[in-house]
Amino acid sequence: MDSLIPSLPYLGRGVLMTLYLSAASTALATFVGLVLAMIQLFAWRPVRWAAEILLYLLRGVPLLVLLFAMYYALPYSGFRIEPSTGGIMVIGVYFGAFMAEVFRAAALAVPRGQWEAGRAIGMRTPRIIVDVVLMQALRIAAPPYINTSIMVVKGTSLVAIIGLADVTFIGRQIVERTLAPFEVFGAVALVYLLICYGLSTLGRYAETKANYVH
Amino acid sequence: MSFDIGFALRSVSILSEGLTMTLALAVPAILFSAVWGVPLVVAIRSRRSGLVALTRTYIEIVRNTPVLVQMFFIYFGSGFMGYPISGFVAGLFALVLQNGAYVAEIYRAGIQSVTSRQTEAGLVLGFMPGEVFRIVVMPQALRAVIPPLSNQGVLIIKDTSLVATISVAELTFQARLLADRTAAVFEIFFALALFYIVLTTIFSLLMRLLEVRLRVSN
Amino acid sequence: MSTETSFIPPVEIEVCSVSKWFGANQVLKQVSTTVRRGEAVVVIGPSGSGKTTLLRCINALEEYQEGEISLAGNAIGYTIEANGRRRRQPEREIAAMRAQVGMVFQNFNLFPHMSVLRNVSLGPIRIRHKDREAAEDIGRQLLDRVGLGQKVDALPGQLSGGQQQRVAIARALAMEPKAMLFDEVTSALDPELVGEVLDVMRQLVQDGMTMMIVTHEMAFARAFAERVVFMADGEVVEQGSPEEIFEAPKAARLQAFLKRFQQGYRL
Repeated sequence: MDSLIPSLPYLGRGVLMTLYLSAASTALATFVGLVLAMIQLFAWRPVRWAAEILLYLLRGVPLLVLLFAMYYALPYSGFRIEPSTGGIMVIGVYFGAFMAEVFRAAALAVPRGQWEAGRAIGMRTPRIIVDVVLMQALRIAAPPYINTSIMVVKGTSLVAIIGLADVTFIGRQIVERTLAPFEVFGAVALVYLLICYGLSTLGRYAETKANYVH
Repeated sequence: MSFDIGFALRSVSILSEGLTMTLALAVPAILFSAVWGVPLVVAIRSRRSGLVALTRTYIEIVRNTPVLVQMFFIYFGSGFMGYPISGFVAGLFALVLQNGAYVAEIYRAGIQSVTSRQTEAGLVLGFMPGEVFRIVVMPQALRAVIPPLSNQGVLIIKDTSLVATISVAELTFQARLLADRTAAVFEIFFALALFYIVLTTIFSLLMRLLEVRLRVSN
Repeated sequence: MSTETSFIPPVEIEVCSVSKWFGANQVLKQVSTTVRRGEAVVVIGPSGSGKTTLLRCINALEEYQEGEISLAGNAIGYTIEANGRRRRQPEREIAAMRAQVGMVFQNFNLFPHMSVLRNVSLGPIRIRHKDREAAEDIGRQLLDRVGLGQKVDALPGQLSGGQQQRVAIARALAMEPKAMLFDEVTSALDPELVGEVLDVMRQLVQDGMTMMIVTHEMAFARAFAERVVFMADGEVVEQGSPEEIFEAPKAARLQAFLKRFQQGYRL
């Protein structure tokens, strides 16, 4: 056990990387999800179909495959970006597809009557969205949004496979050196547990606030 | 950059060597997860607080840690203990441990969706609680759980790609092997993506068929 | 409905000083009443008066802390042990009791995954162990009796509320119960569908079924009840014949309750 203590700061850097990847990917996923949800709800039919096909494809492919594709294709593409940025882009877009579903379902879950009530007092669609529907949709979306962001955090662990120094990658390196898989991977698991459980607690808090509406 | 269709097609045939391994992992993982979820949901619904707490803890731990870390834990841990297990077994174990927990949640929600009114309607006829569950609740719960189970199955199929990192020669592993040797990476990963999309689509369609069949039967 | 004969039917259901608490809130306060064999007793009262709770205590769908309920002289739901302690009866005994006391719910609660005929014949097959043909015969007869002979193969979802409720009544009748409990069975129905269900219940009263009916349908109570029980705030305030209750109410709470119904929407 004591032989592991010197490795702790090293692990700590991995934790920072994981936190960075998680936050950035979640932010990107939220943005992508919002855009795709808007397209699915409001755009012209051909654009909607294109978006739905894209979403179906994204959800049918493993994240690892996309990460590998980026990893191998990047040198050929002529772009020079940090591996971590590339990882964030892939993870962000991938989970953006899931976020799109969260936002779309939340928007549809706002009762029809709300739209009609707004129309009845003379509001037009954009105003209805902003004043009436948005807050309600956000309240409905909060719990599944948190769940999806937990999935993002767990998804960042895959960058370890393409050599990015997140907490999983560093954990594996430490294990190879110190041969203490249970302690090290246990610690790695603990890190994710704390982050994800923290998020889900936030989610449960959000859920009680969400029920305030009804 | 041009896209070599011919090579893409040849990649398909090379990758299909990994297909059997992917299926050999996915099918048992799906079946065992569906089975493992049952004792878990029974434990959760039992009134014994100790059992409930234990199961809840297990579910929370497994849901809040990445499958990859669980796989590493089992794979490297087993080697350390002196009983090394193959990547395949470690992967299968980790997949079932993870997804069994999610499946238990799905079962729980499905059962709960069959309201207490239905249970009461069965009880007042004179059925025992166990009979009511079997005759009234379970058939309805079964219909309710098929869609979320279908989603979970898709997730399992996709997660089989992770065992490539612990040396299991399934689809993704084969693709990576190929990509290390050639420059036609677009074609290779295009073919790989195609495989997974086809697999998940076929699985989803099968589950839809099951759903329809259940709806019709009485 | 007998009047001058000296034959008084035996008590089928006896509720003896039943009290129930929900936490600190007492929802039933020493409620006592009886239902004789062949009698149709209607329970009326404002919402929250405990009428539905009382009904559900009779067939042990709800627990209660004090008091005794018996069916044909036998204690049901709880037994008093030698040392005076109450103990809930084993599930098997409670299930056997429920097979003898039919219940119809406000929300019908038909089994959506079974046809109408199967809903009705399920109990006789599985609990009375009749063979399928015999059970289905009984089922068809009962469905005919409630006016749904045509719909034996329909699914509940294909029927209107009134039709579903009549199926629910047939389902309860199929068990050949000693007594039947009706929990506001028309409250969830559209007004134009209420009549068809009340018709079936009227027929049951005239056929001599022992019934305890919780309802808001005052006209039905007035016309067909043999006894009326008025409950408010968890206790039995007044009970008597329909004439006594509706024409000459004694308690102030009952008078106020009836006044609300008489006023209706008149200005």
